[in-house]
Amino acid sequence: MSKWLKAFVLFLLSFVLQTTVADWISMFGVSPDFVIIFVVAAAIKRGPASGCFWGFLAGFTQDVYAPVEWLGAHAISMTLIGFLVGQLEERFLTLNFPTKVGVLGLAFFVCDMAYFFFTGLEGEAVTNLFFKETLPECAYTLFVGALVFYLSMGKPAKHAK
Amino acid sequence: MRKAFRFILDLFTQRHGIVAFVFFMLLGLLMREAPNTVRESIVSSVLGSVFYPAQVALSSLNEYRSVVDENERLKEENARLRQELYHASEGLEELARLHTLVRFDDKWDFPIVTARVVGHNPGRFLTTLVVNRGTYHGVKENMPVFSTKGLVGKVTKASFTHSRVQLISDPNLKLSVMERRTRVVGFLESADGHMLSAMVPTHAGVKEGDTLITSGLGGIFPKGIPVGLVKDVNRADLDVMRKLDVTPFQDISMLEEVFIMQKDPEWVIQELLDE
Repeated sequence: MSKWLKAFVLFLLSFVLQTTVADWISMFGVSPDFVIIFVVAAAIKRGPASGCFWGFLAGFTQDVYAPVEWLGAHAISMTLIGFLVGQLEERFLTLNFPTKVGVLGLAFFVCDMAYFFFTGLEGEAVTNLFFKETLPECAYTLFVGALVFYLSMGKPAKHAK
Repeated sequence: MRKAFRFILDLFTQRHGIVAFVFFMLLGLLMREAPNTVRESIVSSVLGSVFYPAQVALSSLNEYRSVVDENERLKEENARLRQELYHASEGLEELARLHTLVRFDDKWDFPIVTARVVGHNPGRFLTTLVVNRGTYHGVKENMPVFSTKGLVGKVTKASFTHSRVQLISDPNLKLSVMERRTRVVGFLESADGHMLSAMVPTHAGVKEGDTLITSGLGGIFPKGIPVGLVKDVNRADLDVMRKLDVTPFQDISMLEEVFIMQKDPEWVIQELLDE
């Protein structure tokens, strides 16, 4: 039970950071996505079932503030990455520190592409969003994510074995 | 009871979480396919019962941090406003004369409600705000929302103590705008929830740096609220139209306070809405 409580506190923390710190440290309108860092970290740490659960919860929370017509799009894309990242960790490879950061980047792209797909965005709108939002925010998120992974999971060399 | 709980937990966690994945994906897809009224009720009930109280607490953090900055900014603004007051009073006299001449009727003589932004989209596509004023304070749906810099959006859902504001970056909000220099009317929208664009006729000759204001058409927004600057002029699919890239005067990611104009939609539009 305590691990669920811990995860819930981290879930809340990620949203607190997203609605406060992310605004404060944004550069040229680009801010990191703490929520996706949390979902990827939860999926890596606890596996695909947890990844799905926290992904859905995080996505649904974001959906509440999105246009009503898009309800469910965030929830689906976050569930998808929670599941995929969890599968990767559980079935295919033990993720070392650099791979974790790489997986975070990949999850970011998959999440955004799924979101664009489920909201029905296409053509020029997707191209614009990809270059003006997804790419710079992915880079910033990778930087912050690397820092978070390093501080929270620690000892990357030992873990790589 | 405990066995049942254990069984459900096992079902979700075994087999590599496939059951959990299918369950949550179905839940998400159901929400995607639900009618708009069902979606609206899901969002309203979750927002009112869970997220609003949490975000009120959170916004206090942001408010504390911004007090010092705001104090500095207000001092500067006060000095500047004193300078402008003199010029403005002269301008007002001239405007009064002009109004008499042309029988202008677009004065904003509506009461204003000041509201604090207590919540916004925690994701990266900002389309909705939650403010701490609701029906108790006289706020109703479809009232225009603006800031000291320009138009912000309109109220889409007014609860007792809080309201949901649809921002101009919401792809579902189409807005009639007018270019201040050429007086040409077009419509403003955001196709992707991020960038604003407006369509105007080619012959109007709208240029980069021109200013867009609300046109007063449509019945919700009064005429003359500043909307944004024309950043770029591009060809549209039709040769007779130009697509303008627009930078809003108000950076919607930096909003702390907004003003709600207590203006009901004009009767023609209200009838359409009622229908």
